Amino acid sequence: MTSKRALEAAGMLAVAGALYFAPSFLERGTLNDLWSVALAVVLASSWNLLGGFAGQVSIGYSAFLGIGAYTTVLLALQGTPPVLTLPLGALLAAGFSVIIGYPTFRLRGPYFTIATIGVGEAVRVVASSLSFAGGASGLRMPAGSYDFESNFRSMTLLAVALVWIALAISRSAFGSALSAVRQDIDAAEALGVNSTRLKVTVHALSAALVGLAGGLFAINFQYVSPGSVFDFRLSLTIVLMPIVGGVGTVAGPVLGAILFGWLQLKLLSIPALLSSSLFIYGALLIAVMLFEPKGLLGLVRRLWARRLRRFYIDA
Amino acid sequence: MPEPIVSVRALTVRFGGLVAVKAVSFDVAPREIFGVIGPNGAGKTTLFSCLAGAQRPTSGSIHLRGESLDGLAVWAVAHRGLVRTHQIVRPFREMTVADNVAIGARFGRGRRRGADEKGRVRDILARTGLGARAGSLAGTLTLGELKRLEIARALATEPDVLCLDEIMGGLNPAEINAAMVLVRELRDQGLTILLIEHHVHAVVGVSDRILVLNFGERIAEGRPEEVLRDPAVVAAYFGDAPEEAAL
Repeated sequence: MTSKRALEAAGMLAVAGALYFAPSFLERGTLNDLWSVALAVVLASSWNLLGGFAGQVSIGYSAFLGIGAYTTVLLALQGTPPVLTLPLGALLAAGFSVIIGYPTFRLRGPYFTIATIGVGEAVRVVASSLSFAGGASGLRMPAGSYDFESNFRSMTLLAVALVWIALAISRSAFGSALSAVRQDIDAAEALGVNSTRLKVTVHALSAALVGLAGGLFAINFQYVSPGSVFDFRLSLTIVLMPIVGGVGTVAGPVLGAILFGWLQLKLLSIPALLSSSLFIYGALLIAVMLFEPKGLLGLVRRLWARRLRRFYIDA
Repeated sequence: MPEPIVSVRALTVRFGGLVAVKAVSFDVAPREIFGVIGPNGAGKTTLFSCLAGAQRPTSGSIHLRGESLDGLAVWAVAHRGLVRTHQIVRPFREMTVADNVAIGARFGRGRRRGADEKGRVRDILARTGLGARAGSLAGTLTLGELKRLEIARALATEPDVLCLDEIMGGLNPAEINAAMVLVRELRDQGLTILLIEHHVHAVVGVSDRILVLNFGERIAEGRPEEVLRDPAVVAAYFGDAPEEAAL
């Protein structure tokens, strides 16, 4: 057990180290692809803290990415450095998650999910009509606000940090309470678990992490608009990645994010497929639901078990 | 009777036109085993739901050690020392038996941590006869073991008052005897126990006093042997006594 944890820690440190030094030996195009995959990992793993561990399926996560992105853009235009705008964006996203959490967490199952769709859309509409935020056409970051290497390192290290956070939570008392709430919320409450406070807390943590990614998103693309960060399709993709990868696990959302990140890059390069991306994602989702509800991770585990069996029994 | 630990006054629960519990009052003394019986639909489980905070009564009051439980959430009632088990077992199936119990130890009234929590869990598993299954997933237990797990988890929250809803339903005679022994042991360790049971023989055997409900109303209360002789109770269970002329 201890050696397994040491191995994990060493693995994460190695990946973090390799990513830190990647800008000095990889091409710019490859680094950009890695950045996109890292963003996907951050979004999928953050969502999984609430949606997977606690079983509360939210389809409104673009709101948090957008709040983080807009915070950075608006403050950067006033001359505030990213060191301040990024944490502030995370804080505002967390604050917003608490405000919408208290009323929506009174709802259960599909009703909660539907409410989050409403919240996400409401935020998009509001953002489109705020003139100081550039309305529907959005805002451009001030010139000279882009430093490729530090942005690359921040996003990729955030992705590694998220895997570590998810692992730590899954092994903590907090994580076991989330799991209890997911499996039977009434039984958890009967044992003294304050489920509302628990859900609000994990929602805030996951919103803050997505808000942080939103700030880096704004810096990377140098442009933020309601269509780019408050898109419903984005919220949907954030849900699909962990579900396809293996919902409620630590590795599943990472696998799903890598697959989606890769698909997105491939699809973007073929114009004919670009417009049908949602169709392909939908088909993928149906395939997972039908054949392997535990996602890619479940499939990998099954194949691995079969190989071991063959190795020990058939050999 | 000494100062009651649980005190229920004029409790009424209405679901639309149906009155599930109608103006029920009773007191339970500390360290008493208090049975609640009655035919199906008598309002027993609704009564327990009110006690545990899962169901808001339409009117009436519930006091625990003199403190009103009005408006408290289920977890808050648990933190004050009253927990209930569920008639239909509700284990966390994807967790081990020990982890199921640990939830109660961590988040219940005791708020145990670390080695303290582990010791507490081990102790409770031993007391409820689940020690050998500590590492098994709850989803793999038999019904008898699941019923004991319900009790074990509730005990882990360190309650003063334990409300057991049909813990003997579906068990075989040997398991029922074991459950009766466990209930008595728990009382001897200082707990107050409220017990809903269909199995009349078991309730009579273990309870100090019994409350009989029928159509939401209290029709009798008292020592088991007295209550079972009460004509109103006999009528509720077996129908009205046949008329003399028919004999």
